[in-house]
Amino acid sequence: MYCFLRLSVLLVGLIVSAGSYAVNAVQPLTTADDLGPKVEQPIEFPHDRHAGDAAKGGMQINCMYCHTYARRSIVAGIPPLQKCIGCHQSIESVRETPRIKKLFEYWEAKKAVPWKKVHDLPDFVRFNHERHIQRFVFAQNKPVQEACGYCHGDVKTMTVARRQKPLSMGWCVSCHQKDHPVDATSTKTTHGPNDCWQCHK
Amino acid sequence: MSITNLLENWSDFRQQHPSEDRPHREYKWAMSIDLDACTGCNACSVACYAENNLPVVGKEKFAHGHSHHWIRIERYWDNDGREFADQGAQFLPMLCQQCESAPCETVCPVGATNHTADGLNSQVYNRCVGSRYCNANCPYKARYFNWYDYPTTDNVWPEPMNQQLNPDVTVRGKGVMEKCTFCVQRLTVAKSNARSEGRSVLDGEVQTACQQVCPTGAISFGNLVDPSAKVGKQWKQQQVDLNKDKQAKDVTESAAKLRGYRILEELRTYPSVMYLEQLRESAI
Repeated sequence: MYCFLRLSVLLVGLIVSAGSYAVNAVQPLTTADDLGPKVEQPIEFPHDRHAGDAAKGGMQINCMYCHTYARRSIVAGIPPLQKCIGCHQSIESVRETPRIKKLFEYWEAKKAVPWKKVHDLPDFVRFNHERHIQRFVFAQNKPVQEACGYCHGDVKTMTVARRQKPLSMGWCVSCHQKDHPVDATSTKTTHGPNDCWQCHK
Repeated sequence: MSITNLLENWSDFRQQHPSEDRPHREYKWAMSIDLDACTGCNACSVACYAENNLPVVGKEKFAHGHSHHWIRIERYWDNDGREFADQGAQFLPMLCQQCESAPCETVCPVGATNHTADGLNSQVYNRCVGSRYCNANCPYKARYFNWYDYPTTDNVWPEPMNQQLNPDVTVRGKGVMEKCTFCVQRLTVAKSNARSEGRSVLDGEVQTACQQVCPTGAISFGNLVDPSAKVGKQWKQQQVDLNKDKQAKDVTESAAKLRGYRILEELRTYPSVMYLEQLRESAI
């Protein structure tokens, strides 16, 4: 009996160490394998249809039209159902499609859509959307989708959003160590804050 | 940022205490506590428990020195022959002094406590391995160790009391050191708001929890770099200089009437908290 136990412990140990070796071996920060977990959403929201390029049948809607708090608050915000309905009540062409039907079911039941979190940072991290959006979109005049994409990946090509970047501390710091221009016209550069309490709480 | 990188380039990451040629840039958070106004009511301590998710450990653990009061009221009894109840006492709120040249920082084996650009002595729970060297080397004994995993021990926050935990402050786990942060979660919010409006944080815009509740207004807190800040004016009025280990009060006779002092200054820790000496008679 003990012999079996010992063997299984050894096996588990071997598997774990092999697994951790494999994790250590994978260094590139954004590879196809480095995606976050697939998150099942109550409605399969097509980001590509809303924010994608016009050439690929997208509407090119600004990220901040729906995630409206990103520029003025710590969190980007999930849009309330009213925002979806605001447009979709006057878009007759897709009204009978299964996803929109589901959307109106929530609307008629007066219930919020229970969206699931995709980019979930640990509780000890303080990340401020406002600071990043103000710096890159408003000061540096970067396109919104590029600025958001630094952390969120190419959401405009996804249906349901999935985490593409590791969102680990080393990954954050890799950008905070770089010099970024202060604004669109200036040659002056600064880098992101690198003291621990800026992000750790 | 790997630990190798951190250790090899330590001088780049470590903020040293400012000097004439390397002053603080935008912010230097500092405090002054008027002991003449302090009545020892403990409101500051209670506010700190609420703001910073401190566990109430109970009598037994307290007796073992397992307490968690980031700000505590120290009592100093008069020694004039009167017995307790009639004996006079003086009170001194003791919190982390956010030393510019902090003894705790130099002894941390993993660099879990270091200086921020704002002159705060930061403690990062994720990096802390619980060696407790910092606590041993702190002359103010203002650091507290998590001997237990309090969220699961002794039912410290029974339902629904866990709902009152501050989401902006980590609930610390077992085996890490913690201490007063000067309510860094409030400072960060104030700094961000100010930045959005393209200005610095105004005096009085941000308060620490202890300052906010002090019924006699004994605690003032602010940015020492800001010339209009009340705390800076108090420091100047008392001729207390952040970069000196001996103040005018101790050196010149004419300045002996000044009340401002910093605790254990001669250890050259350059604390960020100035105390104002008590003049009135002890409380009974």
